[in-house]
Amino acid sequence: MRTLAWAVVAALFALLPLAVHSDVVLTVLVFACLQGMLAASFNLIFGFTGQLSMFHAAAFGIAAYATHLSMEHLQVSFWIGTLLAACLVAVLSLIVGSICFRFRLREFYFAVVTLAFSEMARLLILNWNSVTNGSLGINLQEKPTVWWPGAGVVKLDGTVPWYYVALAGLALTLLVCHRLVHSWMGRCFAAIRLNDALGDALGINVFRYKLAAFMVGSVIAAVTGSLYAYYLGSIEPGFLSVDQSLAIVAMVLLGGRRSVAAPVFGAFLLTALPHVIHFPAEVRSIVYGAILIATILLLPRGIYGTVSAVLRRG
Amino acid sequence: MLLEVRGLTKRFGGLTAVANVSFGIERGEIVAVFGPNGSGKTTLLSLIAGMMRPTAGTILWKGAAISEWQAHDVAAGGLVKTFQNPQLFMELTAMEHLLIASHLALKRRLGVRRLLTLLGAHAGGAQAAAAQDDIRRHAEGVLALCRLQVAAHRKAAELSYGEEKMLGVAMALMCEPELLLLDEPASGLGAAEIENLEAVLHDLRAQGVTLCVIDHKVGFLGKLADRAIALHHGARIAEGSPAQVLADPQVVEAYLGRRHA
Amino acid sequence: MAQLILGQLLNGAIVGTLYGIIALGVSLTFGITGIVNFALGVFMMLGAYAAWYLTDTLHAPYPLAVAGAVALVAAAGWIADQLLFRFTRNDLVNGLLVSIGLIAALEGTALLAWTSTPKEMHHILPGVFFALGLVVPKMKLTVFAILLVAIALTQLALTRTWMGRAAYAYAQNAEAAQLMGVHTGRLQTGVMVYSTALAGFGGALYASLYSLEPTLGSLYVLKAVEAAILAGIGSIAGALVGGIILGVTEGVGSIYLPLAFRDAYGLIFLVAVLLFKPSGLFGGRR
Repeated sequence: MRTLAWAVVAALFALLPLAVHSDVVLTVLVFACLQGMLAASFNLIFGFTGQLSMFHAAAFGIAAYATHLSMEHLQVSFWIGTLLAACLVAVLSLIVGSICFRFRLREFYFAVVTLAFSEMARLLILNWNSVTNGSLGINLQEKPTVWWPGAGVVKLDGTVPWYYVALAGLALTLLVCHRLVHSWMGRCFAAIRLNDALGDALGINVFRYKLAAFMVGSVIAAVTGSLYAYYLGSIEPGFLSVDQSLAIVAMVLLGGRRSVAAPVFGAFLLTALPHVIHFPAEVRSIVYGAILIATILLLPRGIYGTVSAVLRRG
Repeated sequence: MLLEVRGLTKRFGGLTAVANVSFGIERGEIVAVFGPNGSGKTTLLSLIAGMMRPTAGTILWKGAAISEWQAHDVAAGGLVKTFQNPQLFMELTAMEHLLIASHLALKRRLGVRRLLTLLGAHAGGAQAAAAQDDIRRHAEGVLALCRLQVAAHRKAAELSYGEEKMLGVAMALMCEPELLLLDEPASGLGAAEIENLEAVLHDLRAQGVTLCVIDHKVGFLGKLADRAIALHHGARIAEGSPAQVLADPQVVEAYLGRRHA
Repeated sequence: MAQLILGQLLNGAIVGTLYGIIALGVSLTFGITGIVNFALGVFMMLGAYAAWYLTDTLHAPYPLAVAGAVALVAAAGWIADQLLFRFTRNDLVNGLLVSIGLIAALEGTALLAWTSTPKEMHHILPGVFFALGLVVPKMKLTVFAILLVAIALTQLALTRTWMGRAAYAYAQNAEAAQLMGVHTGRLQTGVMVYSTALAGFGGALYASLYSLEPTLGSLYVLKAVEAAILAGIGSIAGALVGGIILGVTEGVGSIYLPLAFRDAYGLIFLVAVLLFKPSGLFGGRR
């Protein structure tokens, strides 16, 4: 029954560009899908495994730079570049995760260490002018290319092709997260989140599975970063900022932490918001901050959680 | 000898919780550990189960030295401990608890191949499907054994204290232990629940599970155990059959004070 | 070379004391309310802007401006506690998220009010000292001394006054303290307000030395948290030492390695300490 509902939703989204021709709407949807990938992958680490990672935006930003650099210096295609960037992020998250989880440091140390590490990475990128062009960022002229049956090698240019790429990315992300959460590994994540001492006593290698969730989530963020940068056409150190991390957390909290797809809903809401209500950048921070506070205090289960609780009681 | 403990000592700063304790457990036995509060019983079991590192001494499990092992590795080796204060996953149902506890069972049946099941519940082939069915059936069996069937789909927060304790035992059973360490399973239980527990332990013994049970409530284990050891201030003060140990003047003094010895 | 190292040592110690006073607030808050209040950084920022505004726009004498800034920030801290932090006691993750939300909201507001153009306070105490061949601005040394006194007074208050001892007792054993008649709600609010006041005080002093911009607090609070963790979170006295160690490490480190990466040293040192002694340099029970 649920699968059918999801199939319908997927079909609707796939057919959308035929009905909607507004470039603005499609652009917003592309960004929303990409932010959705970030939110869903973050929730794997935070909502399901209970680890507050402030590394997500760093994974996102580092991968964007890494993809560009490997394309420029190693002459590889966008897809290989993304693969390399993903590998880099996998290694980084392995290192950071190992340091934080090995010694069973308290959860919030993980948040602090990842936060500090992200800041460090951002400063590195900001100051390494020769490689990253510092605060000016990099303008990306190249577009990824795909082999399309019938047309040969085609450039990914224009909103509609990117819409499908982003949609495919989101679908893949949700699939991966769903599979993990509903498998035996997902049960390990739940155990870690709810009572890791008990999980340990029952034979679950808490360190290994915390690391697994962290790595998988971060790698998905990395791929998203690559796509995002090449869609946007530029990268800058702000990709790794605390603001970006904060936005991701806000999306997840708004959507709901216990569901695989609800964070995407939060992402769509928050991505669309600045386009519906226009406000300057400073106000955006205020709004995100207010949303974060409001959801924690008033809607701790997010919109999805609250709605499903109400429906269950009704 | 299934489990052997030699000269096990644990000091917390100035406090010696376990002092040079040595004993052994043979396969198929039920060994009781007696001692008043604060005698080091829980610490002893926690050391054996890998939840903390000893200050000195060795622990041999099936001949291998395990004192530096982590708790999950000890459990994987077949040595599982329950908690004195029931540890649970509050949001989840009893059945879900058992499924989480089936982690080791799945690992033993499928090994690395269980990674395939991540791709899809039916990926991994017939063997994976068979293993998962097996585990489901095992879980249902354990629920029945522990008289928890009614509670199967209730959330942990809604269970009574007795049910919580039995759930702890049930989870430990899902780990397919060779030696089960029970930390005060009867404390806080009413008479009917204790009878239930006794029946469960009898069944376990019949199935070939070795048991090491701490209890403060002396009467409960007196009938059940083959052997007993008594601790006081972290040291072993008596060993023998339960009757012998309970009659030992040092043990009586530890529990009741000098006048009664 | 020795001059350079000495200079950086001194500089590091001074910056470290600023870290220390915020770290003190972080440790106190953690010990009594069970959360890490990252928002202390924005309170520091608010204190700095308040002091600047009071001196340069309202032309108040500096000491009065500092007092005014502290009062304002303490009031803001009280409001934040009543509206927000009261609901996240002992909930580390939610407390962290709420503080981050508060930071975003307040930094955005500051940005709107004062823009990101750096603001500079006029010189309160111009002139320099010459000592050991070093040139040390008088104001810096004064600030250093004042901060040390403030921290010492706090330590004294914790050990001598009733409120302070109650706080200590509570941090050791909450239940027992409650049974002894310590009004825990008021204690927690009191500690919240006090730590924001400390942060505001630090900010007000900061304003006399450096230029202001709305995000000044975020780096400081991160360092302060690092310092608190380094010392062992919950160790009140350790907070100052942790701050100074961090400040000095950064200062001396930046002689040999690129300045741009100065902020990394603290982190690397912190991670190294945590790997070998997870409870921090002075941490014990927690």
